Amino acid sequence: MGAEPAEGGGRAVTDSVPPPLSRHILTLADTKRLLGIRYSDWILGSPSIETGIAASSMAQDEWGHARLLYAMLKKLGYDPFVVEHTRPADRYYSAPALDRPFADWADFTAAVVVVDGALAVALESFAAGNFALARTRVPKMLAEEEYHRQFGSAWFARLAEAGGVAEARVSEAAMAMLPSTLAWLLPGDDVYDDLVAEERVRPAEQVRERCRDRLAATLARAGITLADIEPARDGWDAERRRGPGAPGEEAVERARGDRNRDLFVE
Amino acid sequence: MSPPLGESVYEVFARKSRGDPLRHIGYVDAPGVELARVYAWKTYDEENWFEMCVVPRGAVIPVNRPEGPWARNLPKEGDER
Repeated sequence: MGAEPAEGGGRAVTDSVPPPLSRHILTLADTKRLLGIRYSDWILGSPSIETGIAASSMAQDEWGHARLLYAMLKKLGYDPFVVEHTRPADRYYSAPALDRPFADWADFTAAVVVVDGALAVALESFAAGNFALARTRVPKMLAEEEYHRQFGSAWFARLAEAGGVAEARVSEAAMAMLPSTLAWLLPGDDVYDDLVAEERVRPAEQVRERCRDRLAATLARAGITLADIEPARDGWDAERRRGPGAPGEEAVERARGDRNRDLFVE
Repeated sequence: MSPPLGESVYEVFARKSRGDPLRHIGYVDAPGVELARVYAWKTYDEENWFEMCVVPRGAVIPVNRPEGPWARNLPKEGDER
């Protein structure tokens, strides 16, 4: 992998394979942007008014965090506007669990625990590294994420303890998201090793331990043993730090702002 | 309006700055304390609150208006709670 480009350029992500730190930031930013879109689908139609308000707030949190993360790419020579608004779906670096809309509230709940939880662990690791922008900007994101954690663990417990269809569905949803999300969190490839060597993020074992701390007890409520889940690395795309596939076009159009393109005021 | 099945009402109190009085700002329906805290924080986010608290509606004891909305929470005679 090459060195990070100098500040001030205007490269698009499609120009070349991004260096390790750029890939890391894109991975975090794209996942937050897609997660925000998936949350926003449930602002109306969630189980209660309060839940819809929380979904709205969480969606806005994710978009705000994504914007801050995209802005970090400027320091690495990219044009954040080009990155945010021009890439095709197959150039997105988001977690595969967000490729399709959530089918039901169990999917939403599982994503808050699994995907949002993994994102928080990844951000915590990034804030502990030596990239100055992450050290200064990420702690505020993590403070906001604490409410997502409480929301996810409480709803997950509620569905799991309800038994029957509710428990089965939330367990099934979490099990479907875990293998690809664990691989996304800890890719175990050379690019990630470079990030660790450059002290941009914590070593894999520490991240794995934080992931256990964050997710294991909640998942256990639905009978899921986190340690038994194998990360899914089939068809691994090292450049995008994810398995095969891409987010649905309907979500990418929203992420890019296609329908609003003529009205951009930035 | 009654809360949805299995949910309780939590009154929400907050103060803008240290030293300000804690004032009642609204309520949320929630199935438990953990979600009540999240719902309150996310619903009443119009201010950068210094402090926010939730109190189960059933824990509010009326003092001077025994016929008011909290009447059901009045201790019964001999009740030691």
